[in-house]
Amino acid sequence: MQVAVDTKRTSHFIDKWAYIAIGATGFLLLAFIASGFFKKTLISKNISVGVGESTPPEKFILEPQAIGALRVDVQASIPANTSLAYQIQLLDKQGKVLASAIKNAWSETGTWYEDGESGRWSESDLLAGLDVRTKKAEELNLVITPLEYENKFGRELTQPKPVFNILVENGVVDTRPLFPALFGTIPLAVMAMFAVTFTGKKVISKTINDSDVSDRATLGGANQLVRVKVNVESDEISPSYLQIKLVINNGYGERVYKTSKTVNVNIKREDDSIEGNCSSTLFFVFEKRDSYSFNVEVLPDDSVDRTTLIVCEGVQSLRAEDVVYIRPKSANVSDNI
Amino acid sequence: MLTKIFAALAVVVAGSAIFNSYTQKSALVLREENQASFSPRHGTRLSGSYNSSGVWIFYSNRSGYDDFRGGGPGSGK
Repeated sequence: MQVAVDTKRTSHFIDKWAYIAIGATGFLLLAFIASGFFKKTLISKNISVGVGESTPPEKFILEPQAIGALRVDVQASIPANTSLAYQIQLLDKQGKVLASAIKNAWSETGTWYEDGESGRWSESDLLAGLDVRTKKAEELNLVITPLEYENKFGRELTQPKPVFNILVENGVVDTRPLFPALFGTIPLAVMAMFAVTFTGKKVISKTINDSDVSDRATLGGANQLVRVKVNVESDEISPSYLQIKLVINNGYGERVYKTSKTVNVNIKREDDSIEGNCSSTLFFVFEKRDSYSFNVEVLPDDSVDRTTLIVCEGVQSLRAEDVVYIRPKSANVSDNI
Repeated sequence: MLTKIFAALAVVVAGSAIFNSYTQKSALVLREENQASFSPRHGTRLSGSYNSSGVWIFYSNRSGYDDFRGGGPGSGK
C-alpha cells in the first residue's frame, strides 16, 4: 500500500474550551473596567451639622434601572480620638422613613513604643455606604443625622461639629462580587489549559531500559489527532545531543513514515550523579484506521538508560501544531514512482 | 472533557459574578420585605426592615444606643 505523507500546520485540533475559560477571566476584567462607565453623580457636597440636628433634605428621584443602583457614600470628618454614630436616612415624598442605616465612625491616634523606637499611629473608620434599588419610581430625600458624638473617655461632645462629605451617585455597579470571581476563574482557566495535555486516550505506553522501544496499536481515523511522545533518560556519559529515530509501519509491516530528530539533552547534576533527559513530540493524523507499529531508536545508544514511548489518540492541542497527515494513495491516481 | 468542565465552571462563575454586580443584587431594595441578598457596605448596618406591606419598621433593640434619638425627622413617633 502506498501512502501520501504531508505535513501541515493546523489549528483544527485546538481545544477551544480552554480559550473559553480564559475568555471568562478576560470578560470579568472587562466588566471590572467598564463598571465605572454607568455612574452619574447626583449630589456631592460638604455639610456640617451638630448632634440633635439633621442635614437639610437632599431631594432626588430614583427610578428602576437595569444596571447599577443608587449609592450614598458619606464620609464623616471628626477630630482624632473621638467617635461618632450617625444615621443615613432616605425619606419618601411624605417624609416617611423608607430606609435607615447607622454607621459607628471613629478616629484614633496614639504613640507606639517598640525596641526603643517610637512613633505615632492613627487609624480611623469614617466612611458609610448604602446602596439602594427600587422597583418603582420614587422621590427620595436624603437626611444625615449625627446620633452619638463623644471623645475616647465617653464624654459627649458638641464642638467641633462633625462635617459630612456626601456623595450620591446613580447607576453604580457593585464590584465586590468581581474580585472573588476573578480569583476563582484564573485557576480554573489555568487548569482548563493544563487539562488539554491530558486529552485523548493512551494507546501505547511502554518503557524499556534500553534505547530501542517499539510497540503496536490499532489507531487512527480522519479526525483523530495522534500524539507520539518519546522520552529518553541517559547517564553520566550522555552527549549533549541525542538523535531520536522513529519509524512507523502499517498492519502489513510496510513503512509509512520515517523521521529522525536531533534533540538537546538537559543534563542535571546532583551531588555525584549526572542524569540527562530529553524528549520529542510529534503529531499525526492517520486517515486509515489500522494497526500501526511505532519503532523508536536512540543514537548513540551507549549512554541511554531508559526510553519511553507514549502514543495517545483523539488528543487536542492548545495551539496550532505541525501535523503529519498520512493517507493511503487512491489507486486510480497514476503514479510513476 | 476535563477542559470542558473547567471552562463551564469558569463561565458560570464569571457570568453570575457579572450579573450580581451589574444588577446590584447586594443593594437594599426599597419597600421589599425580602432583603436576603443585601450586603452592607463599609460597616453600615440597617437600623430596621420592611414589613410585608413595605413599611419601614425600626428594630426595637436599638443596637445599644442608650440615648438613641428616635431616627431623625419624619420617623417622629
